[in-house]
Amino acid sequence: MTFQQFAYHNVIRNSRIYAAFFMASIFSVMVFFVYSMLMFHPNIEDKFLRDIAFGGMLVAQVILIIFTMFFLFYSMSAFLQARLHEFGVLLNLGMERQQLNRLIFLETMILGLISITIGIFFGFSFSKFFFMIIRELFLLDSLPLYLSWKPFALTIIVFLSQFIIISISSVVFIRKKEVIQLIKGDGKYNEVATFKKGNAFLGLGLLVGAYGLVIFSIFHMNIFMSLLIILMAFIGTYFFYTDSMLYILDVIRRRESLYWHSFRLIAFAEASIKMRENARMFFVVTIVSTIAFLSVGVVTSFTSFTAQYRDLNPVSIFYASDWDNPFEQAHIMNLSQELQREGLSYELVKFNVKKQTSSNSHEPVNVIKESEVNSLAVALKLPLIDLKQGEALLVWNNQVDFENIRSGEEQTVLEESSVPIQIKGMYKHSIFPSFAIKNRAFIISDEDFSFITEPLFGFSIEESKTTFYAFHVSEWLRTKDVGTNLDRIMTETMGVSEVNPNPFYFVNPGLNFSVIRATFALLLFTGLLVAAVLLLAAGSFVYFKLYTDLDRDKKQYDVLRRMGVTDRELVKIVNRQLVPQFFLPWGLAMVHSTFSFIFLQAFWVDLAAVSIAMEMLIVLIVFTVIQVSYFFLIRWRYIAHIQE
Amino acid sequence: MSILILEEVTKVYEGKVAHLAINQLSFEVEKGEFIAVMGPSGSGKTTLLNIISTIDRPTSGEITISGLKPAELPKNDLSLFRRRELGFVFQDFNLLPALTVEENMVLPLTLDGQSVEVMKAKVQRIAEHLNLTSILEKRPSEISGGQAQRTAIGRALIHEPSIILADEPTGNLDSKAAKDVLEILSKVNKVSETTIMMVTHDPIAASYCDRVLFIKDGEYFNEIYKDDRRQTFFQRILNVLSLLGGNVNDLSTIRLS
Repeated sequence: MTFQQFAYHNVIRNSRIYAAFFMASIFSVMVFFVYSMLMFHPNIEDKFLRDIAFGGMLVAQVILIIFTMFFLFYSMSAFLQARLHEFGVLLNLGMERQQLNRLIFLETMILGLISITIGIFFGFSFSKFFFMIIRELFLLDSLPLYLSWKPFALTIIVFLSQFIIISISSVVFIRKKEVIQLIKGDGKYNEVATFKKGNAFLGLGLLVGAYGLVIFSIFHMNIFMSLLIILMAFIGTYFFYTDSMLYILDVIRRRESLYWHSFRLIAFAEASIKMRENARMFFVVTIVSTIAFLSVGVVTSFTSFTAQYRDLNPVSIFYASDWDNPFEQAHIMNLSQELQREGLSYELVKFNVKKQTSSNSHEPVNVIKESEVNSLAVALKLPLIDLKQGEALLVWNNQVDFENIRSGEEQTVLEESSVPIQIKGMYKHSIFPSFAIKNRAFIISDEDFSFITEPLFGFSIEESKTTFYAFHVSEWLRTKDVGTNLDRIMTETMGVSEVNPNPFYFVNPGLNFSVIRATFALLLFTGLLVAAVLLLAAGSFVYFKLYTDLDRDKKQYDVLRRMGVTDRELVKIVNRQLVPQFFLPWGLAMVHSTFSFIFLQAFWVDLAAVSIAMEMLIVLIVFTVIQVSYFFLIRWRYIAHIQE
Repeated sequence: MSILILEEVTKVYEGKVAHLAINQLSFEVEKGEFIAVMGPSGSGKTTLLNIISTIDRPTSGEITISGLKPAELPKNDLSLFRRRELGFVFQDFNLLPALTVEENMVLPLTLDGQSVEVMKAKVQRIAEHLNLTSILEKRPSEISGGQAQRTAIGRALIHEPSIILADEPTGNLDSKAAKDVLEILSKVNKVSETTIMMVTHDPIAASYCDRVLFIKDGEYFNEIYKDDRRQTFFQRILNVLSLLGGNVNDLSTIRLS
């Protein structure tokens, strides 16, 4: 047996211990590879999509790298910890330190190479599937599988260097110890759980304080408070695990009436050992889970936003033309043709808008004819309006303040044509985009409209006219390829200034929506994958910890079984030991996320009046289901092992 | 009255190579007896103890413990049977490291759901007996081996089982601590008439017993009863052991060659 074979056998024959570790690292390699495949995809020509895809994937990859690094380091040092005795024996048999280092390095590299190979294999197999999802999200025509060395190179380089760094740094971990220490293993179970009472209260206090601030910010929103809350929750969580939990357990253990009760004796005592040992891991798992819950939750909440998008933009395609627009006919023709080409049926309503000066504000206002509004309303299935002569409705527009209208009815005269009108209220449906109506706009009755014959002061009759074209397309989501050239002109010219320099204004909510939807869907998808990796890794931490303690636990359960603990009671004891390990970090992460969502909701309401409660609930329920099934899976394996 | 009866007990471990661990072993243990089982390594001592502990079942033969046949009990009742009728003392103590000395001792009682007052009273009484009162609040890692084994004995005694099974109780102890433990076992046996069955390698430990049963290769080999003086009993144990350990044929083959 060569030295390499020895290292190889060490890994392969311990594959059961390494199973969860393998699974988590293979999965993260796989996800990383799939992201890289998308990042380097040659077919994504759309610059915008490319930016989103590249940016989103890059962020996801950086998170993955950082997390995988941490995960690998933690698991490796725990693996080595569990094998201290074995290393002691090897050194005792005369192995040189140098050889031991090489052994560990070799083993880690074997692990790494296997994970990378299998991860890339699965990643490549799944990338077509992944591309299909992406294609659906972006409504792309095709996103074929491609072969390029770039994603392979990136994945291999990133993970190989990670494994090299890990294997070198983990060697340092055992270098310091003496042979005798190694042979004896670590007597970690024999230490008494120590905690500082001050830290215990500090941890609880910080958590309560952070939650209190969240409640407070429902009433007084202050975005800077979020920093304080995050910091408090972060430190609070740490002390909660290192001290507060031990303190609480200690308090319980002092009460014999509570503590000396069937399985509680074992359960609480074991809990405090596991707590002390795993405090840092619990902390990391909590933070990671909270971030995972939150990222998915936040991204999901954007779907609420998109649902309300349609209400805010009921007109499918809107085109406004100034009097001096030379392209008017050509553009409208073009749009109609494009709609026909896409096979979309549409209704076109044309608005002849006149400009007048309002006597109240001495500013120009747009005047819109009632019957034209109604003909669009019929198409949009909105309630019709009925104005008598002399009555007017103010068109809702978020750019113009209408505070003074709210207070009551307003009388004004359209000065040029001397038409008196009384503003009865507001037309609440936002059928006209805010940008198209530069000033206030009134809807007046057809009779009054016909009285407006005079042009705006200082302008000719032609110059005081604007034309709106409203296309109603029932399949508005499919209009994303209509008017792309106009949209490009709009984004290029409007991007630099608030003022529209063009003689026309064009907006296609269907196109905008498809971009928004794709962006958020991609974010959601990316977030979900990252969250899945994080959760899997968090779960494998727990599994791995259980596995390294298995020998000791087996012995303990053997004693208990001899003492007459029935199999059912054994399962109960196992439950009481596993449940806290699984659900304490998860539970705290849930509480954290719930409060974060409350905060986000408070913040969000100020911003866009969107309720995210439903989405949050769904996210929390889904994660609960995942966690519970993972718990049962691990418990099943664990019980099978200890009953061997 | 016999508290433990073994009749023709045989245990075969199935596997690639079937292994006969115990072969038609029969003996009885009287109530209140302190019996030692001795034999060389691999003679089936641990298997025997596991079968009597009811955590392993014999391939054939019958066992009766205080009138009950464990083989006929369903699994759940078997656990309850162990919980009430048996007490265990192990070579490496097997105290639960997370629990204090006191908590380790009350563990069997908590499993049986007794009230805190009863548990407190029992622990107090046993701790006085075993001279553990001063270390009740300590953890197993903070006490000596002898103290740990006395704690284990306390744990085995606290629910007043009908038989205590001890597996090399002095194997991990220095001579002073071993002597303490043996004297305590002896005292417990005399005072509360608890039946004790002890598996051991140590002839000194065996010399504290009423009777020593020798087994070899899973079969009954010999048994001797104690006499008035422990010293001569010890000597006789050694004699049997020398018969057990040395193979007469080994020497003769050397001579022949």
